[in-house]
Amino acid sequence: MTQLLQYTVTGLAVGMIYALIALGFALIWKSSRVANLALGQLVLISSWFTYSMLVQVRLPVWAGMIMTILFAIFLGWMIERLTLRPLIGQPILSLIAVTLGIGYFLEGVVTVVWPVSVAKLPPLFPQEPVTIGTAVISQEYLWATGISLVLFGLLSLFFKYHKMGIAMRATADDQLAVQACAVPITSIFSMSWIFACVVAAIGGILISSIGGITNGLIETGFKSFSVVILGGLDSFIGCMVAGPIIGLCENVGAGYLTPILGPGIKDIIPFVIIVIVMLIKPYGLFGEERIERI
Amino acid sequence: MSLPCGIRNYTYNTDMAIIRTRTQWALFILFLLFLYTMPLYLPRFGLDVMNLMGITIISIVGLNILVGYCGQLSIGHAGFMAVGAYTTAILGSSLGLPFLVSLILSGFSAGLVGLLFGMPSLRVKGFYLAITTIAAQFIIIWIINHWTDVTHGSMGISVAPASIGSFQFDSEASQFYLIISVAGLSILFATNLARSRIGRAFIAVRDNDLAAEVMGINVFSYKLLAFFLGCFFAGIAGSLFAQWRGNITSEDFTFGQSILYIGILIIGGLGTAIGPILGVVFIRLLEQFVMFLSPMIEQTFSGLPSGFATGLSPLVFGLAMIIFLVFEPRGLAHRWHLFKASYRMWPFSY
Repeated sequence: MTQLLQYTVTGLAVGMIYALIALGFALIWKSSRVANLALGQLVLISSWFTYSMLVQVRLPVWAGMIMTILFAIFLGWMIERLTLRPLIGQPILSLIAVTLGIGYFLEGVVTVVWPVSVAKLPPLFPQEPVTIGTAVISQEYLWATGISLVLFGLLSLFFKYHKMGIAMRATADDQLAVQACAVPITSIFSMSWIFACVVAAIGGILISSIGGITNGLIETGFKSFSVVILGGLDSFIGCMVAGPIIGLCENVGAGYLTPILGPGIKDIIPFVIIVIVMLIKPYGLFGEERIERI
Repeated sequence: MSLPCGIRNYTYNTDMAIIRTRTQWALFILFLLFLYTMPLYLPRFGLDVMNLMGITIISIVGLNILVGYCGQLSIGHAGFMAVGAYTTAILGSSLGLPFLVSLILSGFSAGLVGLLFGMPSLRVKGFYLAITTIAAQFIIIWIINHWTDVTHGSMGISVAPASIGSFQFDSEASQFYLIISVAGLSILFATNLARSRIGRAFIAVRDNDLAAEVMGINVFSYKLLAFFLGCFFAGIAGSLFAQWRGNITSEDFTFGQSILYIGILIIGGLGTAIGPILGVVFIRLLEQFVMFLSPMIEQTFSGLPSGFATGLSPLVFGLAMIIFLVFEPRGLAHRWHLFKASYRMWPFSY
């Protein structure tokens, strides 16, 4: 019972970080229908950038955060401007493949610039663990959960009320109509990439402050795909619901299945969930089901 | 297909022939001669690269059927290769089956696994399918790493070199002949498949699956057939890889490899017969070039970090993939066709 509570609390907290990274995916998908498969690499490179700001340049934490966010904004803008804008109107296969190429490129950049491959961020949050009932959890998880929820709230409000947010939703709905209303959709695309990179950077900082920076972050990015798939690709609320579910499945499942199936089962559960969701309910819990007409 | 000026086709057979003019025959025979005498003058290292190229070509030919012709994006091709490779390893070592049998069985086992993960294509396409194949990649590699009784996990499994009858393919040169011959057969098969009813149905499914269905093509079964064929080739490539390497681990079939294969296909040209070959030759030579160059760069600029060389090759490759998608989405094959057209028209511009 103690174990179950422990697994549950950890799972929910990890799930919130997955949800945050998945938000970055949903942002881009919502406005431009581009599937960003470089999610994990974006998380990785921004974590490394934070590391070099905090440890190598020795900036204070707040300045390091600001630098990281500026870097993420620059990265998002560059990616959209240089690779995705020339590909507007190309088949979806090219769009997916180009993000794969970006991911591969960023991975190469990370290996060239930071060849150490494993590092640890200085502690960003208080270290004393907190006890909830019988479960013990480090404060970092709670901070991560809190920050994810706040960001989710901000983004939802932005999409609901801000002019730019409304324009983004409209672009997702009908690009031609939006252009006819004199909304510059190229700037909307680049906005969505900037947002996605910032969200990925924050997710990266949170998750690498807990588990350190390794190449495993790329796999974390892929695990976030199970969140978007389960939640539905174009739904923020789907991300926030599915994130904790995936986190729970992963941690509770790993806790009870490891003795039976051996170690490492934790890393495969999200992918098994992807396959099951694909076979049963491919558009996810909250996704919009598109009916095709000829 | 257009012909040089003054040459006409008078029978169906000449119209359908792949090699059509005397010049083409001469060039083709010269090329074959050149190819099959390569072991005589290439050093061992060069043969090694050629063998890797041959195996990659077989794999990419399969991927081309699946992605290029049928339009079903698969980002788990290295995983399906792993299935074929381990099938050969296990069948060869524990059951002692002859090589040709285990080669074919490897193709079938990879094809069946491909069918399993192609099932979601009944309801989804595009990005959803891509994600499923990514999941396939991770699940297959996980099973290989953890089903240690059969696969020996991360220790790797050793494979005897192929043999037909009493002949052992144990030298690099004999491996070269084996791999190049299988690669040639695969290319021939795929080229003819693309011109048959099946190939045309694949193209119809790729271009507009709804319209294809209305025209009476059973979309789901053709999609599954594409998955089966694509993964069958991956299995054959994996099987050859296993017996060529002699020892395989799951590290040989990483997710990065899967991305590499997609990239090779895009750089070569989707949905063309020549694309896979051009893409593989280009990328493998680029790899060798980077490997050749990186020690020199490290010597010239001594202040560079030590891991510089390992990161260089994904960096260059990722860049190549992006550049091709942005500037030449039809790949090297398109350039090749342009070159052929200008050769045929010469000295006139059109």
